[in-house]
Amino acid sequence: MTITDTPELAASMRLGYKDYGHGEAAVRALDGVNVDIARSEFTAIMGPSGSGKSTLLHTLAGLDRLSSGESTIADTTITSLNEAQITEVRRKYIGFVFQSFNLIPSLTAKENITLPLDISGTDVDPAWFDEIIGILGLKERLTHLPAELSGGQQQRVAVARALVARPEIIFADEPSGNLDSKSGSELLSFMQSAVKDFGQTIVMVTHDPTAAAYADRILFLEDGQIVDEMREPTADKVLDRMKQMGH
Amino acid sequence: MFRLAVKSVRHNPKRLILTAIAVALGVSLVAATQVFTNSLSSGFNDLFGDIYGGTDIIVEAAPNAEESGGDPFAAAEGIFTPEDIDAIADVDGVDKAIGGIQVPGEVLPADYADGSDSDPFGGGGAPSQIFNWSGEEAVDQATVIDGRGVENNGEIVLDLDSAPALGYSIGDDVTVATGTGVATFELVGTIRFGDSNNLQGATLAFLTADDAHTLADDPNYSSVGVIAEEGADLDQTVTAIDEVLPEGTRAITGEDKAAEETEALDEILQYVDIFAIAFGLIALFVGAYIIVNTFRIIVTQRTREFGLMRAIGVTGSQIRKMILLEALVIALLASTLGIILGYLLALGFAGVVSLTAGDIFGTLTLPLDAVLWSYGLGTLVTLIAAFMPAIHASRIAPMEALRESATSGKKSLKVRNIVGAAMFLVGAGLITIGLYGDFERPYIWVGAGAVTLVIGATLFSAQLLSPLAGAMRPMLTKWFRVDGKLAANNIQREPRRSSNTAAALMIGVMLLALVATFTESLKTVVTDEFASNRADAFALSTQGPIAPEAIDLMESVDGVAFSSSLGFSEAGYDGMQRSVAIIDPETASDVFEYPSDPSIDDLGSGEVYVDPAIVESGVDVGDDITLEGPEGDVTVEVTGTIDNSGQGNFWVDFATGEELFGDVPIAQTMLVYDDDIVADDAENADDATTVSEQTALVQEALAEDYPLIALAQPGQLEQLANTFIDLLLGVISALLGSALVIALLGVANTLLLSVTERTREIGLLRAVGLKRRAVWRMITVESMVMALFGTVLGMILGVALGSALVLSLSDFGFDGVTLPWVWLIVYTVMAAIAGVLAAIWPAWRASRLDILQAIAADG
Repeated sequence: MTITDTPELAASMRLGYKDYGHGEAAVRALDGVNVDIARSEFTAIMGPSGSGKSTLLHTLAGLDRLSSGESTIADTTITSLNEAQITEVRRKYIGFVFQSFNLIPSLTAKENITLPLDISGTDVDPAWFDEIIGILGLKERLTHLPAELSGGQQQRVAVARALVARPEIIFADEPSGNLDSKSGSELLSFMQSAVKDFGQTIVMVTHDPTAAAYADRILFLEDGQIVDEMREPTADKVLDRMKQMGH
Repeated sequence: MFRLAVKSVRHNPKRLILTAIAVALGVSLVAATQVFTNSLSSGFNDLFGDIYGGTDIIVEAAPNAEESGGDPFAAAEGIFTPEDIDAIADVDGVDKAIGGIQVPGEVLPADYADGSDSDPFGGGGAPSQIFNWSGEEAVDQATVIDGRGVENNGEIVLDLDSAPALGYSIGDDVTVATGTGVATFELVGTIRFGDSNNLQGATLAFLTADDAHTLADDPNYSSVGVIAEEGADLDQTVTAIDEVLPEGTRAITGEDKAAEETEALDEILQYVDIFAIAFGLIALFVGAYIIVNTFRIIVTQRTREFGLMRAIGVTGSQIRKMILLEALVIALLASTLGIILGYLLALGFAGVVSLTAGDIFGTLTLPLDAVLWSYGLGTLVTLIAAFMPAIHASRIAPMEALRESATSGKKSLKVRNIVGAAMFLVGAGLITIGLYGDFERPYIWVGAGAVTLVIGATLFSAQLLSPLAGAMRPMLTKWFRVDGKLAANNIQREPRRSSNTAAALMIGVMLLALVATFTESLKTVVTDEFASNRADAFALSTQGPIAPEAIDLMESVDGVAFSSSLGFSEAGYDGMQRSVAIIDPETASDVFEYPSDPSIDDLGSGEVYVDPAIVESGVDVGDDITLEGPEGDVTVEVTGTIDNSGQGNFWVDFATGEELFGDVPIAQTMLVYDDDIVADDAENADDATTVSEQTALVQEALAEDYPLIALAQPGQLEQLANTFIDLLLGVISALLGSALVIALLGVANTLLLSVTERTREIGLLRAVGLKRRAVWRMITVESMVMALFGTVLGMILGVALGSALVLSLSDFGFDGVTLPWVWLIVYTVMAAIAGVLAAIWPAWRASRLDILQAIAADG
């Protein structure tokens, strides 16, 4: 794999190692990972459970620290930053969509969407806000509390929150994992169009070949190492590749 | 089932730590008091054993005869003539009978004459005890250590601690002051009282019997110590002595006497116990709020667990039993901790007291009472508090196990509000009945009313807190951005929990505000009292009444215009001993504005003014009443009333007083100076004699012959009174301190549990970029809002109840309520600080949460 730092990279990792535990019980979750995430691309990370795909996402996003190696977000090397600085980076450059429990129960949908901006004290761009809300079909739901929304709506609110601050990169951890297939494909289509129409960068972890097929590029992870890469995937191609990996 | 409960407590001990501490603190207060009073009792038991134990039989005034006003240090009047003592000595079984007389006076320090800094109340320690020396160790209870015992008139011995403390060594002249003057005696020896000279700081002195009779101005003896013949049966001897005794006296064995005194003291200590247990109960009551909250939260957090248990066939009542068992486990652990803590507390306190008061404690033991009370109260309160949450848990349906997240149902506050308002009103009603109704034990009504009212206020406050948090939201959002908004939301989300937490603080602050309102109003009364005072100085005697010669001496000092004296005594009326004030109508209204109708000037000889208590017993102006004094019965006409309760039931002039009592015992002489004596802060203070300077002159004139008379200016007295009031407030505040600490623990506890509950939420906030500092601030704002809410509510209730109390006491001179503004501000500031402090642990935990684990946490 060639190592070239270009400004087109939204995030990157060089020789990323992550170990859990010590001695006999030590587990190597990442084993020298090199990865580049290009701007305006929808990247999916796939792999069997225990392959380290969630760890890769967490370390890339600055939620967890590498044991050794270096990772960058928008040309900022986050591996050398302290906790407060990393928080700052997350706030400025990163959006998150988790599998579940994405929303603060006591805030309305609208307040949840603007939360990252409220935290940093930045004003909301109303045109951008309206555009996202329109695309995600949340206009009628803005004053509802999370408990009053369906699972699909909740995840769409989470995507809207991730988009509203126009982050450098959005990390999504099994965003459709808890949804029925219809809501799931709706959500993934939204994410796909966010990349195509607005040039948003998205990195998504998933184990579902159908979900991965929405991405531009798929990285396959096994035993903490990137073993393969696929461009312009389809669900069938992905399924075949996964079968080769023995799963 | 018990094992399951223990396991559950052990599985997650952190969430129960603060709860246990809250219970333990309340219990420790109860235990400490019991240990403390118990050891005090055993200490005095030893002392009484020292005093009376050595004497076989004591002959004294019978206790039901005229009492000396309950002052244990007052010298009893001589009631045994020398002939009585001879008669006792002749009784079968009596070896020796020795008369004892106590001199009402004081041994002055060697340098008393140059004690020019005449602080009239500074030396107010235990007074001197001066007796006649019998030479019989069993009667004197004292052993000569240095020198020899008293043999000749003009000699004195002092106890071995006091002699050096007062500045005397053997051979020195010792000055003894009595109400009539001073006398000097040669110190011939030092003695030790009992085994360890355990005098609680008092000075013990012995003179010859002759000198004692002279100084006491009394040829008789006040008690008789009897040494029985070897082998005589003490009880038979007592009976035999009783037959020769004058009326109103009795014989008792030394052993019985010591037991009797201990018993009397125990009775007093019992009130101390009740007083302190009341504060312990307040602390436990506050603690109960925390227990309720903790269990409520734990039950919510374990909804899925309970649902699962129900699904696999555990019955609701088993779940209820399990939670109550958990509560029992905590109660037992916490009570044990509380007992240990209480014992240490008592140990520490006894140590501090011993430093100043000497070794007055017996060994500190843990009485069975303390253990039973502690476990009983601790367990009872915990179980009662856990009962509602336990019932709630037993109603959890198996379906709840399958629900996604453990959100508590949004139950309406309606029922809570109705119950709260009803309890509030019932409580207020009970208090009113207690204060104004005519019942046997009013405090039971008031107490029950107060508890009901407080619980009502707690329940209802949830309704207040919710919109309040909503109203504060924009403000908090403006000040603290998102973290402020979230804090407001969190309070609003769980109004029950938040208001229960605030209520714990509310109770403590309410009591503080109540006491502060009361004492502040009391201060106003004192100030008003002294404002209506026109005297320039007061003369008071530290031992016995003021001698008439001393009054003449004071009046003769240049610059003193005149004096007005006030005497107090007791006379029989309608079968009861009533207090009588003797006043000089000619001068009285020149020194003090007496609230009488008509003016005190009009009080003539053979007339009496009566106070409201006597009016209430059916006496009207115009009636003739008969007072029975020691000198004879006097019939007087009621010509007026006086509102000054507490000083005297009857007010007569000196002529009538002399008919009743002979020499009128003067308690207080008020001096008025000439007009050219100026106030201390007058403009020409430098050129003229000031009131202070004049007072010093009078004090100097008294110094030689009447060193026991001290002068004070009204300002000094007012200050002294206010100091005492502040001290009262201080003591009560300190006792309430434990309740406040518990309340703070409650705030911390609630926050801690809700941080656990909101783990995922906090993780998410951190993931999207909320800094640790902001998380900390969010928890702190939440804590401060709850603390301030509780405090403000407590202050409102406290001031209202305090005002009601003051108004209900208008008979005792309270004219109006004075609000303790300074204290209210202090409490508010302290509440804010407390809020910050209480947030430390939960905020620390919240801000340290590992983001990944937090997000993955099982909510």
